[in-house]
Amino acid sequence: MQATEAVKLLLGIGEPLIGRLLTYDALGMRFREVKLRRDPKCPLCGTSPTIKDLSIHMEGGGGACAVDPNGHGTTVAAAGAAPRAGG
Amino acid sequence: MKTLKEMLAEARQVVPEEGPADLERRLKSGDPVVVIDVRDPDEYRDGHVEAATNISRGFLEFRIGTAVSDPSTPIVLYCQTGLRSVLAAKALRELGYTTVINLQGGYQKWVQSGLPVVREVPMTPDQIQRYSRHFLLAQVGDKGQRRLLRSRALLIGAGGLGSPTALYLAAAGVGTLGLMDGDVVDITNLQRQVLHTTADVGRPKVESGTRTIKALNPDTNVIALPMRITVDNVMDVIKDYDLVVDGSDNFETRYLVNDACYLAGKTNVHGSIFQFEGMATVFAPNEGPCYRCLYPTPPPPGLVPS
Repeated sequence: MQATEAVKLLLGIGEPLIGRLLTYDALGMRFREVKLRRDPKCPLCGTSPTIKDLSIHMEGGGGACAVDPNGHGTTVAAAGAAPRAGG
Repeated sequence: MKTLKEMLAEARQVVPEEGPADLERRLKSGDPVVVIDVRDPDEYRDGHVEAATNISRGFLEFRIGTAVSDPSTPIVLYCQTGLRSVLAAKALRELGYTTVINLQGGYQKWVQSGLPVVREVPMTPDQIQRYSRHFLLAQVGDKGQRRLLRSRALLIGAGGLGSPTALYLAAAGVGTLGLMDGDVVDITNLQRQVLHTTADVGRPKVESGTRTIKALNPDTNVIALPMRITVDNVMDVIKDYDLVVDGSDNFETRYLVNDACYLAGKTNVHGSIFQFEGMATVFAPNEGPCYRCLYPTPPPPGLVPS
């Protein structure tokens, strides 16, 4: 899926997965699509961003880096941080 | 009998003209516009505006229907200096195309304005055969294939996500693939990371990845980056690519790639998998949300399974 999206974007054809999250459940063999909206309060791409460079990622910058470096998005979604349902 | 001068003057009365900067603005705005290079194929091959389709003046009335389905779509025509194309534009107006614009000064002025051009490098007989199924697809075709061959994609991670993506992009003829991974192949990787083989255990993933990609498609220029992506190298690495494919396996990297791609204006094709579940989306700066819109805060340590 990532390869197909990449080829489409490089060619400028079709409808890319911008603003849409496609989930795939191999056991149930189901695809779901969740609409994603820009968050106006997003610290990076929101209306008054606080992240203007990569200093948050520097040693001791805390924030995004202070995490266990293993994992997967669905876990975060299940913890209530992101819109998982409603696809 | 009319003189050439009179014919041109007549055409100019009915055909609006726009300069190279106006065309550049139209192309950047993303509004629908069809650009047609009406010169002969050899002139087109020597250099043309990337967005342009080549329909020689002599075939214009016959082939315009396949290039433009809606007669109200703005069409910009150009030739070398703007003379052939103004006559061509008048002919299209007479066919019922309502918004036909002549590129003032033609290709020559476009080049003099310092705007980008592309040159067609002839495809080898092998390439013509290899990509023949792409040529049959209207949305790809010869032009799309050339575009893919000129494209540069960066794969962050040569693991479970990066492996199949790298293989498909190489097979499709994406010209340059950056392959970035600091790990060596472990036997436990082989059950899913299809770029690597049993003989590669213990060797850098970018090394086995490069070999597999080159074996699949020798056209692919693979740039092996045997290192982890870090805050110190990310901006320098991504600047050389049209597109980033994030196939990383940890949150730290995903936030870093997200932030760097947004700041550098690069589109990020994001994917993740966990056990039997996978997800994919595209983060395009200023066109849609980013990873932080989706996951504003990283998960607390310990919550996340490995």
